[in-house]
Amino acid sequence: MRELLKTRVAEMLREGRVDGVVGLIESHGEPLPYLFTADDTAALERISTGELQGRLAELIPGVVRYPLGKILTAVARKHPDKRFGVMCRACDERVVFGLFQNLQLDPDKVEILGLPCKEELARACSCPAPAPRSAIVDQPSREAWDRADLERIDAMALDERFAFWVEELGRCIKCYGCRNACPVCFCDVCTLQDDGLVKKGEIPAELPAFQLTRAWHMVGRCVDCGLCQEACPMDIPIRTIYRKVRSIVGELFDYFPGERDGGKSPLEQLGDGSFPIQ
Amino acid sequence: MSAEETARFEPRIVAFCCNWCSYAGADLAGGMRLKYRPNLVPIRVMCSARVAPQFIIRAFQEGADGVLVAGCHIGDCHYVKGNFITAKRVAILRRLIEFMGIPRERLRLEWIAASEGDKYARVADAFTEEIRALGPSPIKDIRFGERSRSCASC
Repeated sequence: MRELLKTRVAEMLREGRVDGVVGLIESHGEPLPYLFTADDTAALERISTGELQGRLAELIPGVVRYPLGKILTAVARKHPDKRFGVMCRACDERVVFGLFQNLQLDPDKVEILGLPCKEELARACSCPAPAPRSAIVDQPSREAWDRADLERIDAMALDERFAFWVEELGRCIKCYGCRNACPVCFCDVCTLQDDGLVKKGEIPAELPAFQLTRAWHMVGRCVDCGLCQEACPMDIPIRTIYRKVRSIVGELFDYFPGERDGGKSPLEQLGDGSFPIQ
Repeated sequence: MSAEETARFEPRIVAFCCNWCSYAGADLAGGMRLKYRPNLVPIRVMCSARVAPQFIIRAFQEGADGVLVAGCHIGDCHYVKGNFITAKRVAILRRLIEFMGIPRERLRLEWIAASEGDKYARVADAFTEEIRALGPSPIKDIRFGERSRSCASC
């Protein structure tokens, strides 16, 4: 897959279809985000699909993931007139489509190079759809979403749920890791740092205001990539909250961010009568 | 909670009322000399869609036992489409707080027109009694003890 990716990236750059490709490069055995350009052919030799190397690969099934969609947004903001390619796992692809829907990226200026994930990896990530639509290699997309986490909480009584979340969220050290890793968090000014809405200067983070505020902002945005969960140093099951948000929005509005082309978040459609008012 | 405690508990409810309909409705309730529960603390906002979900979350965090969002009837919005978005927001937020263990009944959406002083009084009574039955908000009871500390940088 690496060779094919390399050929495709080289081709895109040579033909001038794109001005740069956001992807991963191998540096000292570790994949790192990199912007490949036409004049930088040497770098292309070290392009990586994110797979772990050597002994590490034997020990953990997995790839090194970075919020490439977020990096692409930052690059595209600096160069709004340029066209970019982006290397995408299925989760990254949902991110990029989610960013199209939220008008953060221009679909005409982005070309996706999709890399399907192996079944083992999809299971490890509990991925809802492990094969990207713009994949460079064909592979069936078998859902590996494990709903056990959601079902467990849904089955709890309300006071039990509250106690559960107080225990879990009470560990929060307010590192903002979930927000920083989140590829669909694109605001310039963050509500989580607004002293009037979420108090500063205390840990654990204000409960439940901090997480509820973040969860609210995931409405119509969260694509369930799971990077927040990977980033959390306190192992708080935050992904479960955002999965719930995603399922609430799906259930009420039949809208799944990043899964369909076009369409806007239900909260952006004012007064279209798309929602039955009680 | 014992029956005695339930009787003693006075819910504190934040009511976001839109300037054009619901606040005028609340005003009318007063003008009509209607008798209703005093547990609602009305906050006048220009439109129910001005009530960002953060405001509701903030109210709960500050210890509100219930939050009422009141706006114009659908089709009557002074800003034409504001209350559509309010309806969507509240529907999502009600489910979300329930997932966190806060009963969705604690958040209520009502359409109250400027001429509906009696409806405002009715809603105030009904919502107060509903919250009284639910008891105090669990958010007020969160204690972290020694785990909690101040942090200058976050």
